[in-house]
Amino acid sequence: MVVQKDVFWKAAIITAIVFILGVLLGYFMESSRIDNIREEYKTVEVEWADAKLQSTYFQILNPKFCDIAIKENLNFADRVYEEGLKIERYENANKLNNDNQLLYEKQRYALFKIEFWLNSIYLKDKCKANYTNVVYFYLDKPSLIEKPKQETISLILRDLKNKYGQQIMLIPIPLDLDIATVNVIKTTYNISIVPTILIGEKNKLEDTHTIEEIEQAIKNAM
Amino acid sequence: MEFITGLYLFVIIISIYLYSIFLLLLFKNRKELFNYNLSKENLPTVSILIPVYNEEKTIAGTINSVLNLDYPKDKIEIIVLNDGSTDNTERIARSFKEIKVITKPNSGKADSLNYGINIAKNEFIAAVDADCYHEKDALLKVINCFKEDPNIEAVTSAVRVKNQEKLLGKLQFIEYTLISWARKLLEFINSVYVTPGPLSVYRKSTLKKLGGFDKNNMTEDIELAWRILRNNHKIKMCLSAKVYTVVPEKFSKWWHQRLRWDIGGLQTFSKHKDTLGKTKYGMLGVWVAPFYLSSFILALLGFIVALYIIGGRIISKILLYFYSINTNSFTLEFKYLNLTPSIFTIFGLLLITIYLIYITFGLKMMDPGKIPTHRKFTLLVYMFFYLILYPLVFIQSLYLFFMNKTIKW
Repeated sequence: MVVQKDVFWKAAIITAIVFILGVLLGYFMESSRIDNIREEYKTVEVEWADAKLQSTYFQILNPKFCDIAIKENLNFADRVYEEGLKIERYENANKLNNDNQLLYEKQRYALFKIEFWLNSIYLKDKCKANYTNVVYFYLDKPSLIEKPKQETISLILRDLKNKYGQQIMLIPIPLDLDIATVNVIKTTYNISIVPTILIGEKNKLEDTHTIEEIEQAIKNAM
Repeated sequence: MEFITGLYLFVIIISIYLYSIFLLLLFKNRKELFNYNLSKENLPTVSILIPVYNEEKTIAGTINSVLNLDYPKDKIEIIVLNDGSTDNTERIARSFKEIKVITKPNSGKADSLNYGINIAKNEFIAAVDADCYHEKDALLKVINCFKEDPNIEAVTSAVRVKNQEKLLGKLQFIEYTLISWARKLLEFINSVYVTPGPLSVYRKSTLKKLGGFDKNNMTEDIELAWRILRNNHKIKMCLSAKVYTVVPEKFSKWWHQRLRWDIGGLQTFSKHKDTLGKTKYGMLGVWVAPFYLSSFILALLGFIVALYIIGGRIISKILLYFYSINTNSFTLEFKYLNLTPSIFTIFGLLLITIYLIYITFGLKMMDPGKIPTHRKFTLLVYMFFYLILYPLVFIQSLYLFFMNKTIKW
């Protein structure tokens, strides 16, 4: 009965190979997702510059700029919203890369959304546009209790957006990404609870509310 | 990298390493796993000890099974050690004229076996539980294993499950099959760390030299095996020698049995912790003790990781549905699930695949032929529910062990 001790080092080599391959595959997957986000950001950046330029162009040269500008704004809104969801999904699946690797992208998207919100306010005023800005304030890193609350409100707003389409301009803004403008907005609207919904820049709904209450508040603002 | 990710990867590394060892041992020794010798030449004498305590339902079956063993009758003596039974066990045992029945005050299984060792006349001692049924050639196969190496001091057998009617019995069938199989693989690195009760045979001289079974240990069969290994002796496992045992069919009894096993394991580890990492104690120091310790650590860490990841998600989803119902917006849609794969997914699937390969080989080699459909279903329950109970039992065992509480046989 010979003791086969060689299996210990052979198993160690197999483990090292399998583990390294697994980690490399994981890194590759995560890095490609981050690269993907960064590439898409570049496209969005160009699209946003284009949309802003169109607004400027129409304001200076064409007095009937409203329809096109509103349409561009809405398209951009949808695009930024989808990108935000994708970042969130990728971030949850990224385990090996630095936790803050996507922070820069998230900050830039948050700034886009604020800029876009301000543009929406401007267009609504200038063009007497028929949409309502619904700004949804949330935390990027919520606690275990806050997270399901945020998800509930997020799903309600998504459903209402699907129902009312372009009558609603849905703008989610994270409060905890250390952005000076966001801090100013927080102070201006006295936002201390998450989630908070700001409808038509006037009506503020804090914490959770029923879908009917939120829908009624939006209808009132329309 | 988050702490929980590091912990997860640590659990994964250790798990892959352990499974690699088992798979390497399997592929290297697959042709020798079921080797046996049925020679009847130069057979030694054997004393079969059957400790019993209130076993009136099973004792007759066990005695009949032992009497029917294919072994020269003049070379075996059968001793039933009645450990103060209060039921009909003694009367049933005494109805068999071919055996000796010794009745003594209740003092536990280990003490009964020690008593039996002292009165046994033969060169080898076979310890047999009172609820087991042996294949006719089991003892012959086991005894012939001793001829392979004079340093083999104990040989154990493959314990299979007799009662498989209920789900718990079916689950334990898979478990016992895999345990026997794994134990055989461990033999190739001299790491058989338990000589289970249904049928294990020892050299009497070794038992005398080592002082017999430890009556203070709740799993005296594990402790004795560790002491044999500690003295640099060998233990062999005869996979083709089959013994069928009756397993608990009620969950509460199953839980109680597992508590006893785990506490006994902890007692054994505690007694032999000085061997950890020391080469002078042979494979006990360099492999068995660390393997035992790492199994428990893995079970606990795995449980913590699973609790954090899965438990966190469950709490989050419960709260989500609670808020959804409160806001009249109850939503349960597939599109809201995050299906983006992470490193957790990669290694989780890898580990499940390795484990599936391992158990499929195990089940197929132990019972050749196609795995029946009902067993495939039981296998799923075994993998995703039954194994989860291990760390839960272990947590309670840890508590009882450190609180110095014991549980009855």
